[in-house]
Amino acid sequence: MAIVVAESREQAQAAADAILLDIEEWEGITLERAAKGDARVIHPEWAKYVPTFGVDHPVSDNCACEVTAEPEGVDEAFARAAHIVEGTYSAQRQYRAYLEPKAATATYEHGRFVITTASQYPFNVRDRIAQLLAVRPSDVRVVGKTIGGGFGAKLDGWVEPLAALAAKVTGRTVSIRTSRAEDMLTCPTRDNATMTIRTALDAEGRMIGREFSCDMDNGAYSGEMPRLASLPLSIIGSVYKMHGPMRASVRLWYTNTAPTGAFRAVNGVYLYMAQEQHMDEIADLLGVDRREYRLRHLFTDGEKSRTGQVFEDASILRTAFDKLEEHAPWQEVLDGLKPNRGVGIAAGVWMTNPMPGEVTIKMYEDGTASLITAANDNGSGAVSMGLTQIVASALGMNEGDVRSSLPDTDVSGYDGGSRGGRTTAIVGTAALEASIRVRDKLLAVAAGLLEASPEDIELIDGHARVKGAPSSAVPLAAVAATATFTTGSISATSSYTSPPIPFDAGCASGALFTTMSTPTYHVHLAVVEVDEVTGHVEVVRYIVVQETGKVINPVGARGQVRGGVVQGIGYSLYESMRIGDDARLVERSLESYRLPLAVDVPEVEIIFMEHPDPLTGHGAKGLGEAPVVLTAAVISTAVRHATGKSFTAIPITPEDVLFALVDAESDS
Amino acid sequence: MTTESVSFTVNDSERTTEVTGSETLLDTLRERMGLRGTKEGCLEGECGACTVLLDDRPIDSCIYPTAACAGRAVRTVEGVGEVDAPSLLQQAMVRCGGVQCGFCTPGFVMSLTALLEREANPDREAIQNAISGNICRCTGYTQIVEAVEAVLVESGRANTAQGATS
Repeated sequence: MAIVVAESREQAQAAADAILLDIEEWEGITLERAAKGDARVIHPEWAKYVPTFGVDHPVSDNCACEVTAEPEGVDEAFARAAHIVEGTYSAQRQYRAYLEPKAATATYEHGRFVITTASQYPFNVRDRIAQLLAVRPSDVRVVGKTIGGGFGAKLDGWVEPLAALAAKVTGRTVSIRTSRAEDMLTCPTRDNATMTIRTALDAEGRMIGREFSCDMDNGAYSGEMPRLASLPLSIIGSVYKMHGPMRASVRLWYTNTAPTGAFRAVNGVYLYMAQEQHMDEIADLLGVDRREYRLRHLFTDGEKSRTGQVFEDASILRTAFDKLEEHAPWQEVLDGLKPNRGVGIAAGVWMTNPMPGEVTIKMYEDGTASLITAANDNGSGAVSMGLTQIVASALGMNEGDVRSSLPDTDVSGYDGGSRGGRTTAIVGTAALEASIRVRDKLLAVAAGLLEASPEDIELIDGHARVKGAPSSAVPLAAVAATATFTTGSISATSSYTSPPIPFDAGCASGALFTTMSTPTYHVHLAVVEVDEVTGHVEVVRYIVVQETGKVINPVGARGQVRGGVVQGIGYSLYESMRIGDDARLVERSLESYRLPLAVDVPEVEIIFMEHPDPLTGHGAKGLGEAPVVLTAAVISTAVRHATGKSFTAIPITPEDVLFALVDAESDS
Repeated sequence: MTTESVSFTVNDSERTTEVTGSETLLDTLRERMGLRGTKEGCLEGECGACTVLLDDRPIDSCIYPTAACAGRAVRTVEGVGEVDAPSLLQQAMVRCGGVQCGFCTPGFVMSLTALLEREANPDREAIQNAISGNICRCTGYTQIVEAVEAVLVESGRANTAQGATS
């Protein structure tokens, strides 16, 4: 690899043009070719590679990770099956298309790197730079900036290590800013995948056995993908009860394509798409109404996933179906469908990323508070709105009097990154605990000033006040200043991580990621209209029933749901980073990468079911990822319902629809 | 590189600047004038993050030559409101959750400011059409549209709130 460092863009371009590359051209090894298992080995040295996350997992030749479950009784189940349903489903790559392309600035002075970057996960960027440049993590300081969207793309280091290396070599401050075209070429996309589900049914229509296989595209280099190869085990075979074993084989393949990576709700979007299309196929084969079949087999409290995770409160799923029924009765929706319209319904369970987070709350002598954390807003407002709201409410302050700082790995405690819906839930818990400790310190000092016992004092409207005696009050500014000049300035630090969840260690081999922490439950419904002339699919109605913890900021929560659903509409109908036969990305600009626009978007009807998490003081659970999880499931099944044709490959483009309709015509 | 002198107004101030032949208005605003509110998202007129008003009409400044602005009026987000005195639309965008990461927001504010100047009481479809050249990847658009509807109500242009949310 070569990096050009220059003082102007023109100079850099001229220098780059002067570089001659001598490239040995290989045949394109796409997922389809790699998954056959006989393609040229992309990394002949794979056996010497450091395992991702330091944990060894099965790797061989072009297979970057293999997860298999071989329970007994699968063949017997198929041997005694009354019916067998089999389907193959696939999904293309999705580009995150955040509006701000990646950028970073680096300096190297006195043996230390200082990197400024809009990162979702500053500590991960720190560690990546340290790993690649062979220095200690503490030799790297990462300072966060506000993020112009990330959706997972800004979790790992990419421009940052390059800037750091260039700064060290040149001794100058170096900035890297990618253009949109460069960003599209280098941004790890949501992985493409192909799945097959084969289910054995008994005479009563119960699922008595299943075979499941999934081939995922890793691209040329691995980031988080080997971990995600385990997630299919938690999803396929959950939500709906199986009365028998599931054989599973998940393979993540090296291909000589641009790398893939974690995008909001990772592979959940295509796994649920496959599972729900399969459920429709089963229901149709049995001649049972699709909603009715789902209700008959819905998880109840205490049901287990294929990894042995017990879903204690899974009957929330049934409540979600009930809520949907109250809002939009299924039979009425079916009866009211206009021509060329179809409806899809789907259910899912999703998680909250449990990684640790830390918060320091520091009182200023003017009575305001500073919230110091390495958690960064990824557009969700989880820090600037959610966390400040939690702290302000605990300390009896106006929200404007709690300021959140941007991340700085030299100052803030460790944080697991803006991802997986974890910031409000995890970092919010740390923020609440730190606030409570700050409150206790404020009360102790106020007790002296007010000559009252701390238990008799409340914090309200920026004052410490004797309960029931509003005239006996001192401003927090006086309390904080008194503390600073007597017992010491007031601050407190707390950290939090979700407790581990038990699972069945014998459930599979190669599994690195086995449970869904702080699960939440979801039911979605979509109505689509298919234009027979253009093949265009319009989502005309979309309903989300989402189980949440305590909703901290209702406006922000609705915005997360709407934004997630619209990303899912794009994923289901328009967005595709196509891989050409030469294994190169076809899309090089937003001109051919179609994103959802305001005119494409239905009014999303949102029903929240609040079940506060008893483990977090404020009750919040992950909320921002889940809205995208079931989009492809409901939209693809709705298109199937509207047209009578299966669309097992995502996205369902107008061309796909027209071809299917033409086929249908020639069939009749 | 040869340059030429171009004069135009930016947020009602007369400005004269040297520009190279193909220099875009986006580069002139950001690099020469230090107006960083206008964002670069794609450099090909697809995303709308760079939207500014030229003689009151929204344009993509990333593909618009500065030389073509001579004698005309350019307005950027810096001219719409102050940090301490945001416009009604900017206030509504924040209140209604029409802002998430905020990178696309200046472009939306410009497109919608032009709409609100052009039409007295635009309906939902007109609002959606006015922002069909602006991409937002975070909000799903609805809360941006609701912000405009809130402004219409607040400023007495609409009698009832359209599309009130659950």
